[in-house]
Amino acid sequence: MRRANVVSGVVLGLLSLLMLFAVIPAQIDPGPDGIVSPRLVPSMTMILVAALSVLLVVNNMRAPEPGAPEASLPFTRAELAALLKIGAVFALALGLYFLVSPLAAGAGLVVGALLALGERRPVVIVLMPAVLLLALWLLFYKVLGTAIV
Amino acid sequence: MEHLITGFQDVLTPGILVWVAVGVTLGYVLGALPGLGKATGVAVAIPLTLYLEPVAALGMLIGIAKGSAAGSAVSAILLNTPGEPSSAPTALDGYPLARQGKAQKALKMGLFASVIGDFVSTMILIGLAAPLASYALLIGPVELCAILLFSLTFVGGLSGGSLTKGLIAAAFGVFFATVGLEPETFIPRMTFGLLELEDGIALVPMAIGMLAVAEMTLQAGNMRALDVEAARISEGARREDRVVLASEWRRCVPVIARGTLIGSAVGILPGLGASVGSFLSYGATRRASATPEKYGTGMIEGVAAAESADNAVVPSSLVPLFALGIPGSVIAAILIAAFILHGLTPGPLMFKQQPRLVADVYASMICASLIMLVIGYTGQRIFAQVIKVPLRLIIPGVLLLCSVGAYLETGSVFSIYVMLFFALIGFFARKLDFSFVTFLIGFVIGPSLELTFRQSIQILDHDVANLPGHPIAIVFVFLTIATAVWTARSNGRLAAARARRTTKPCISKREGR
Repeated sequence: MRRANVVSGVVLGLLSLLMLFAVIPAQIDPGPDGIVSPRLVPSMTMILVAALSVLLVVNNMRAPEPGAPEASLPFTRAELAALLKIGAVFALALGLYFLVSPLAAGAGLVVGALLALGERRPVVIVLMPAVLLLALWLLFYKVLGTAIV
Repeated sequence: MEHLITGFQDVLTPGILVWVAVGVTLGYVLGALPGLGKATGVAVAIPLTLYLEPVAALGMLIGIAKGSAAGSAVSAILLNTPGEPSSAPTALDGYPLARQGKAQKALKMGLFASVIGDFVSTMILIGLAAPLASYALLIGPVELCAILLFSLTFVGGLSGGSLTKGLIAAAFGVFFATVGLEPETFIPRMTFGLLELEDGIALVPMAIGMLAVAEMTLQAGNMRALDVEAARISEGARREDRVVLASEWRRCVPVIARGTLIGSAVGILPGLGASVGSFLSYGATRRASATPEKYGTGMIEGVAAAESADNAVVPSSLVPLFALGIPGSVIAAILIAAFILHGLTPGPLMFKQQPRLVADVYASMICASLIMLVIGYTGQRIFAQVIKVPLRLIIPGVLLLCSVGAYLETGSVFSIYVMLFFALIGFFARKLDFSFVTFLIGFVIGPSLELTFRQSIQILDHDVANLPGHPIAIVFVFLTIATAVWTARSNGRLAAARARRTTKPCISKREGR
């Protein structure tokens, strides 16, 4: 975790400086005279993040105690793979939303997630999106009497 | 009291009770699934309640919160995988009981302890919130700003392993709360020209992303181990293995009473959370026992201690929210959005402005406790089967619900982008130990913090030397500093102890060669 803390401290420190000197001045007008600037609180939070990031890096850069092992990475390969798979499933669903319809996006999301997580039984892959979408339709359009889209 | 009677008249109708029961059932199922806790359940369900009457909607959401707090014991006992971190001590004795074929007994005791803890804590909320709120009305912007800062520091220090990371998360939470039109000048802030951002970032898609989607992604990465554990559950054949005996009740009653008190006290303090409550209660019960060495091998008192405290935290954590408008826990932060959506702004004024709706909420909470007992007891066997469903079948359904929930909030696909953005942040925050609880609380109190800070600048005439005119604020400023120093020191000691523990085996291994 020590190395991860140093890396995250550096990244957050750089991000806060980018926000302070580029994004906040470009995205927030200084505001009229005589009132508290709209930039004040966002800038204060980023100054705080910058200072705390330095503290995080310095604390974790101190030499580890003799004999202490370097901890393993905080992420496992399976977790990162799952992040990529679920990201891809959402990308597919968004594509279907824009190109086909919201219904296709919902079905695509369920089918894509099932396939990405290792489900291969055709009955489950067909029935599950059908049942879930039917249940949602019943809940919103019949029980609650409203439309989703 | 008369308002409470009116509240019961409003709630004790089939149209409302059905939704409370639906909430409790849904919560119980969600709680039973590892990783899907009460905050996730409520966040996903808020958009589903948009079309319900306020009383039904709030009753359902409270039912979800209470049901999932009790349901999280199911996976802790059967899988050794707590539905939420606060059920981790339940697993210490609940899982050995399940391995001995006494899963039904442990589940029943977990349910009874949960219901008692929850019910008593609800009474404490009803008794404490209104009197505290009358004092809160005496507090001005300078004092409130100092209290909010103190709460944020307190939560930041206790929610994760590092104060520095907790404060970074809190600062980012406040930062994201500033996105949108500035309330005084209506100048857009960090909207990048997007009209969707002018009203600010919506809490619900953000919370769904950070809590549910991020957690599901992590579960997807670890699903094989969880599915293997689910396949190992066995059940005893003897009656005494399935029911709580009178002798066990006698041993557990004082344990439940102590757990309820500890949980209620922990819930009232902002930021401590249910995990602290359940661990404290479990530790106190073990210390008070004549046979502490037996804990961890299947002691029914361990389950009772952890579950009573865990469930007592939920209602009492609403005390600071109702009395001061400050969310003391992530569930309180999420519930703020629900309360506001349904016309109830949490804070001291709500007791004066909407006493009837407050009474309805209280009545719903009491009804939810009793419904939880009925549904939990009758449906326990079914809920226990839920965790046997492989995660690869659960995750797609949850992702679909998350997307529908986020989409409904604004009726725009932009909410899905917000959900995915914060899911990514939530994923890395969890793995790198940046408290997403502090982030969400920072985001929720951010607008109040900024408003009171601006007002304080005006009241103090841009001069800190005028602060001595506000002694309560000075007390909280000192408390903030003291909390920061105390937390930093105790975190440092814990880190050193951890380093020593990891160093010792290495050295002894080398010495052994």
